[in-house]
Amino acid sequence: MNSLLLLGAALLGSVMPSLVAQETSGSKSSDAKTADAKKDEAKKADPEPKWFAVVGGDVHTGTGGLLRGATVLAKDGVIESVGYSTDLPEGTEVLSARGLQVYPGLVAISASLAVSQGSRFLAEDDLHMRCCVDFGKNGHLHEGPLDAELDLLLADQAGLVDAQSDLRDAYDPFSSSLLMTLAVGITSAEQSGGALKLKRGEIDGVVMRERFLSSFTWTSASSGKTQLREKFAAAARYLREKREWDVRKDKVKDLPEPSKKGIEQKILSVLDGSARAKFNANDRDDLLGIARLAQEFGFRPVIEGCVEGWIVAEELGRAGAYAIVYPRQRRDKDENLVRAGGSSIENAAILHAHGVQVAIGPASNGIDLGGITGRDLLHLTVDADFAVRGGMTDAAALAGITTVPARILGIDHRVGTLEKGKDCDVIVTDGDVLHYETLVQYTVVAGKIAYDKQKELLFAHIRPRTPGDGKTSNSSGDSAPASAESQPPQR
Amino acid sequence: MLLTTLLLSIPTPADPPLPSLYALRVGRAETIAHGTIEHAVVLIEAGKIVTVGQDLEVERGIPVIELPGATLLPGLVDCYSRLGLDSDGSSGFEPQAKASVELYPDQKIWAEILELGVTTLGLYPAGSGIPGQGFVVKPHGATREEMLLRDPSYLLVHMRSDPGSKKFLRDGLEKADDYDEKEKKNVEKWDKDQEKKGAKKDDKKEEKKEEAKSFDPSPPQDKAKKERKGYVPSEPDEKAKPFVELRQDKLRALCTLSKAADYLHLLDVLREETFEFDLRVFLRDDVDFHHVMDKFGEKKLRIAMDPRITLQPNTRRERSYAMELAAAGGKPVFVPRTDSINGLKDWLRHVGEVVGAGLDRQVALRAVTLEPAQLLGLGDRLGSLEPGKDANFVLYDGDPLEVSTRILAVILEGELVHGEIDQ
Repeated sequence: MNSLLLLGAALLGSVMPSLVAQETSGSKSSDAKTADAKKDEAKKADPEPKWFAVVGGDVHTGTGGLLRGATVLAKDGVIESVGYSTDLPEGTEVLSARGLQVYPGLVAISASLAVSQGSRFLAEDDLHMRCCVDFGKNGHLHEGPLDAELDLLLADQAGLVDAQSDLRDAYDPFSSSLLMTLAVGITSAEQSGGALKLKRGEIDGVVMRERFLSSFTWTSASSGKTQLREKFAAAARYLREKREWDVRKDKVKDLPEPSKKGIEQKILSVLDGSARAKFNANDRDDLLGIARLAQEFGFRPVIEGCVEGWIVAEELGRAGAYAIVYPRQRRDKDENLVRAGGSSIENAAILHAHGVQVAIGPASNGIDLGGITGRDLLHLTVDADFAVRGGMTDAAALAGITTVPARILGIDHRVGTLEKGKDCDVIVTDGDVLHYETLVQYTVVAGKIAYDKQKELLFAHIRPRTPGDGKTSNSSGDSAPASAESQPPQR
Repeated sequence: MLLTTLLLSIPTPADPPLPSLYALRVGRAETIAHGTIEHAVVLIEAGKIVTVGQDLEVERGIPVIELPGATLLPGLVDCYSRLGLDSDGSSGFEPQAKASVELYPDQKIWAEILELGVTTLGLYPAGSGIPGQGFVVKPHGATREEMLLRDPSYLLVHMRSDPGSKKFLRDGLEKADDYDEKEKKNVEKWDKDQEKKGAKKDDKKEEKKEEAKSFDPSPPQDKAKKERKGYVPSEPDEKAKPFVELRQDKLRALCTLSKAADYLHLLDVLREETFEFDLRVFLRDDVDFHHVMDKFGEKKLRIAMDPRITLQPNTRRERSYAMELAAAGGKPVFVPRTDSINGLKDWLRHVGEVVGAGLDRQVALRAVTLEPAQLLGLGDRLGSLEPGKDANFVLYDGDPLEVSTRILAVILEGELVHGEIDQ
């Protein structure tokens, strides 16, 4: 009897594993019992995995593929498979996305959200005395005379990510601006040079990376530029000497260790790859200078703004630059100069065509409700549209708000695309994510539904979802019927 | 009947003067412990409640004060106040600081507080971070000693979602960890010393037994405890002491929160800690505690809050956190909206508003008497009309939650301290 069942299991395994599992556990032979005991042991050691699946949507993987009516299956918040005829394990929470589009969660670069603000002063009673520190765009907070002190701090605290991290300790998983961010499909965001996973209702595992981007100032004064170059040169020299010392110290006795005096830790981390240098520059000459510096010392710069990048796109491409472009940023040409200048609607497209990794951001980096077509994070996709208007492909524009910012933040091994092994950060939309009319129906963060349009007050009243459309269910029940009503807006 | 049987057990009232033993007969009494009693009689002796019941017969000779129109409530307990104290306080990490050093008896304000029916006041240390330990007074008495009921009452911890305040608490608990470790070593050493002494004593007699013992790798715990009769634990560092006492249940913690996220961060610091704590939350119109209400309820937390109906953020949707907490299994405690004489005047009116919005009346009355008393660690002595508790009463001319109701009299430990009563 038992062997028959096992044979059955082998045959049916791929079709109905849950049924077979039930049958075998039902037959109480001694073998089954020991197997059960083993299972129990395994359970104790390691709690039951949580399965979650987005079923039946058109899955835009972000790696070039569009899988119509496919399933994204996640185990404990990590994608297990993306594809067809997936067997859903028993107890899988199923989100039906029939007739809907499925995309990787968006990544907001240069964000300044009110989700992780620390208060420098602890108020005695109430909030009146609370001083919120706003980590401004471009990390202005980190500039100026404080730099040296901060460098020490950074060096001290390196490697403490998520154990006792400032970002984590100030994270507010209930903040209303977090909800709005999720409502537009953003699941990861930069915060003070690090990256946050925008989890709702919990604070564990929200910090993906901390202090990865470090800001550098590219001043217009030539002395500043020379100084910066010298600092890089000194750091590079130190690294060379250190490497040599590491090799020779065992052979030669009393070999003096190269002095770290006067070497900026910030630059060392850029050169050894543990941090990324971010510049804020728009002027053609500045962009060229940064590209040269980067090529000379062998690092890939992140250039925010990059308004005149289209003029020197080739050089930036060769330097392996990342650009953070705000497509709606305008700048007039300096009429005193003969050469080309000013902003161009084609900026993002031209940069991309020359091999620059282009991330797209909104003009204002917070969440504000200052207008229906604002220029803040609520309209990240609209900003990507402006890049498309300038000639960028849809795929490149989507990459500009998913994979490229993920790369810049050093979190591309976890987010940005829908692939096996990546975090299950998924958005389900009612149309092309770049279409202005499209609304996010569900936002899933780490395999948990963090936003459901119909359940929150923000957009529920706009084209309300019909009941039965995209409802969640358990895999043991029937899957939700496909909705004939919802027609995705076509571009 | 009950009364007569009880009276038999009471020593003859010959010794104490007459006012020390008397009975109050009122139209209605809110006992808190056993609901509302109509036509209630309360017998008081030597400042304590002897018995409470409906239409009890009072033995001849015991003076009875008849107040058929009055409603009797246990004295109000305000557990989170700075009234009568005026220092700016410390800021940062001062867990050893005691707010009671600020207590100054000879002030007009104490009488004003008492006149408003507040017979117990829990005072907290000023400052930020972990500013110190609170204490409890009765607002009556000529000396500090007379006023003090309990010192310390709780360790105050201001928890906010930021690295700073989390660090304070972490530091404190780490200090307690250090102490525990040191103490463990001391105990081990002491055990060894004792063993040596013991071994010397019955060296010859129990040689064989000793051998057998030495094979046993770990002697049973109970035995080890018994052996430590003479052991005196070392005194912890002054800043570590409050945290050590928290773990030993000698001190409670009161943590203040300003938003729901603060609670997650508090749990994040506490992790495996098992000591008990109460919460104080500040209710404004944009608070979001509903996100963690089920977590509050799970732990059956006692939470001090303002008696007010708040609006859910970005909406006009009204929420009654006291009601939600009670429904979730927690225990609401009400604190006046503003910490002032005027705040105390309006206190019960505001509580009435919350009752009007649906909170259970008994829960509301409990939240101004027994629950705050328990928060202050005086739940066995104050807060309800039960035999053995302090005879602290407020007498009202009607429903205490009604706007038009006035206070007739206030009785503190059996003595009339405000108002007039026709005997």
